[in-house]
Amino acid sequence: MKERLAGQVPAIVVEGLRKDYGTVRAVDGVSFQVRRGEIYALLGPNGAGKTSTVEILEGHRRRTGGSVRVLGFDPGAGDRHFRERVGIVLQSGGMDAELTVREMVSLFAGFYARPRDVAETIEQVGLAAKRRARVRTLSGGQARRLDLALALVGNPEVLFLDEPTTGFDPNARREAWGMIAGLRRSGTTVLLTSHYLDEVQLLADRVGVMSHGQLVEEATPDALGGRDVSGTVISFRLPARLRGSEPPAGPWDQAAGPAGEFTMHTDEPTRVLLALTQWACAHHVELPGLTVTRPSLEDVYLRITGQAGIGAGDGH
Amino acid sequence: MATEIARRSRPPVLLAIGQVRYQLVLLLRSPLGFFLSVVFPLLLLVCLKVITPSHPVGGLPYAQWVTPAMCAFCLLNACYVTVITSMVLAREEGTLKRLRGTPLPAWAYLAGRSGSALVTSVIACGVIIATGAAFFGVSIVWHAFGYFAAATLLGIACFFLIGAAVTTVVPKTDTALPIAFGTMLPLAFISGVFFPLSHPSAWLHDLASAFPVAPIAQAMEDCFNPATQSWPMPASGLLVVLGWSAAAIAVIALAFRWEPGPAPAARGLGRSPRIAGRPRHWP
Repeated sequence: MKERLAGQVPAIVVEGLRKDYGTVRAVDGVSFQVRRGEIYALLGPNGAGKTSTVEILEGHRRRTGGSVRVLGFDPGAGDRHFRERVGIVLQSGGMDAELTVREMVSLFAGFYARPRDVAETIEQVGLAAKRRARVRTLSGGQARRLDLALALVGNPEVLFLDEPTTGFDPNARREAWGMIAGLRRSGTTVLLTSHYLDEVQLLADRVGVMSHGQLVEEATPDALGGRDVSGTVISFRLPARLRGSEPPAGPWDQAAGPAGEFTMHTDEPTRVLLALTQWACAHHVELPGLTVTRPSLEDVYLRITGQAGIGAGDGH
Repeated sequence: MATEIARRSRPPVLLAIGQVRYQLVLLLRSPLGFFLSVVFPLLLLVCLKVITPSHPVGGLPYAQWVTPAMCAFCLLNACYVTVITSMVLAREEGTLKRLRGTPLPAWAYLAGRSGSALVTSVIACGVIIATGAAFFGVSIVWHAFGYFAAATLLGIACFFLIGAAVTTVVPKTDTALPIAFGTMLPLAFISGVFFPLSHPSAWLHDLASAFPVAPIAQAMEDCFNPATQSWPMPASGLLVVLGWSAAAIAVIALAFRWEPGPAPAARGLGRSPRIAGRPRHWP
């Protein structure tokens, strides 16, 4: 599916987007593209400009500068045909407490030219048992599922999810992730914002990291910050027989004491490991505590956004 | 690109009818809206009839005056107070923002609101007139009933438009009811909705006639007087009603907003605290 769609015009094109609130620049020259059928995540701390960016793409906010196209439309023009084709999951509320789940989804289905089946949509978000319940009786997780149903019932080509699992308990988060992953199979283009790294790692095809209004890095979750190739940590201890000898492919840092652990940060883990394991085999020993770890997404994220913070500060 | 997959939008009339139905369901399920629009004026009719000494008003029995006056009060509640409270609530809870993200046109939403105000007003007036006729000996002046219906429709339209315009200056949900009642009740008092103002002082009379409540209420009351043979609203009164309606339309066109929080001028960085926070019923 994705291969077939890859050649098409991107679903979302953002170029040099700027948004000022008074004298404060919340979004500062952001550019990115989202391919059709792709799940793209904007990741960043609170106040990084994610919500402003998404709300401009949704047509809820006017931009200060730059150009934005969603399915070929300028969202700022408020075109009804544009809103026929996008679905929006808001960060908060906005549902009538006294309507039932079914009434609410039916109401929204009635706004669209080609809506999905109401019962089927309710079923898909896992609210079939609650279809006759009033909205005010729903739990937080159920309300967000209804939120997703309202965005899906119009059969959107592009779906905007602003922090879809903020405030969820772990179970509700997992359920929501399952639903969003399910959208991938239907070919829906999804733009989501999040400040949860695990969420982005699990769901997104590509990630744009935002900090201080700028897009500071764009990659697949696995390759973020060069994480797939750089900064691998190798560590091991030497067996008693080899103590005092120097392992190959060094230099290694050794912790204090005769049995101290050797560690190395390397961008060439394959070469180092090969040399190290050949050396150990040649001496007929096992290397106790041999581990190879890649930096966590969290480490990378903190490094990217931290560095970006200093850079952006200089820029103003 | 934009026409790559043409989607024909839903017929506007269907959207508007759906919105009227939606607003009526909401009103029926919200005890306050139903109470204000139907029960409250009916209660007042009965109370005023019971406690007021039965002296005639302008040569007519008191009930013959107070019944159409309570119909005017109905309009104020159904089209002004309820519209302000429910539309501000819808905006502050994010409902308007959510609707704004769908293909529903703005006018269809307003049509739904006004349509539901119209249906509520007509039902409430019907209940009040039926009660007056059945229990208080009120007689319907059929030859002036067309004028009564016209004055009622004019009142519904005018009060609705002003109510929708007032929502633009109401900052948050808590202030909607005080602002709505705080403006409506004093005006209703000086405009002859609760008591017939047979000898109002000149300045009070001048003040009341600058607002649309007095001409509408008085026209509705006059239509229950058998002596009324022609359209009872003076041209000056009609001008006031139309002027206020036009001003309200201008305010709605310029300042109506779908986003929660204070007016854009007062908004700070990014989202307002109200948007950033989760509504009370959310985790």
